[in-house]
Amino acid sequence: MMSARDQPMAARRLLALVNYTYLLLVMFVIAGILTTAMSLQYANGELPCPLCLLERVAMFGVCFGIILNFRRGFSYQNTGFSLLFAIVLLVVAVRQTLLDIYPRPGHEYIGSAIFGIHMPVWSVIIALTLLTAYAIKLAILGDDEFLREVDVGEFPVMRKIADILGIYVIALCLINLVSVVVQCGFGECHTFGYKLLQ
Amino acid sequence: MMVVVYATMSLALICGWFGRRGLAVALLTTCLFLSIGLFLFEIYSPEYGFRMPWIQSELDRVLPSMRAART
Repeated sequence: MMSARDQPMAARRLLALVNYTYLLLVMFVIAGILTTAMSLQYANGELPCPLCLLERVAMFGVCFGIILNFRRGFSYQNTGFSLLFAIVLLVVAVRQTLLDIYPRPGHEYIGSAIFGIHMPVWSVIIALTLLTAYAIKLAILGDDEFLREVDVGEFPVMRKIADILGIYVIALCLINLVSVVVQCGFGECHTFGYKLLQ
Repeated sequence: MMVVVYATMSLALICGWFGRRGLAVALLTTCLFLSIGLFLFEIYSPEYGFRMPWIQSELDRVLPSMRAART
């Protein structure tokens, strides 16, 4: 089988396009999930628990690696950051699922169910999907030296979409920061209400 | 603590966006360690520690009947 390095420039360009499209899709999906979670929080008054907030942080961490790949050029270090935070997301989500898996007083799944599945279980699915998607990408586009040769700047439309999406994700993180200040103050977080509004 | 976690993550994203890669990575690493610390703090129970006996309690109920079925 011909490696990516031996392929003509047009093929390398196509592979780079596939890779950047994949990264863009991952960031788009995460932005969608975070937007949904925040909509449920502000529209339905479903306050996030501390572990839910940590799961959001992990999703922002995954986006950090992707944003750097678009802004500073492709690097496996950035992919490593994304994978690291996907693992953090998985660990936190599994523990939270196990915490509430057995019904007992004061412990039930927080928030409303979406398609019959609660948020912590969704987080496990999201983390596993992220890790699987990265594994499949590495298996298919593994020998991707071409990504360092074909800069994202060669795809101006994609670059622009990635910039807009990146700014959107940063804005979501800043809104979450303000929200956390209002909910938790500078102490422990609780789901009883917004601490600064009481 | 959660505020600090979100503040470091926000700063990491902003620094990464504006090309301050070294600072962004340092902030991200700080955020990662703070998150792990906060996670361990949140799941620790003075009663159970890090154990999850509510899962074993179900097993305890099942095990005697399983043993009885074998004998």
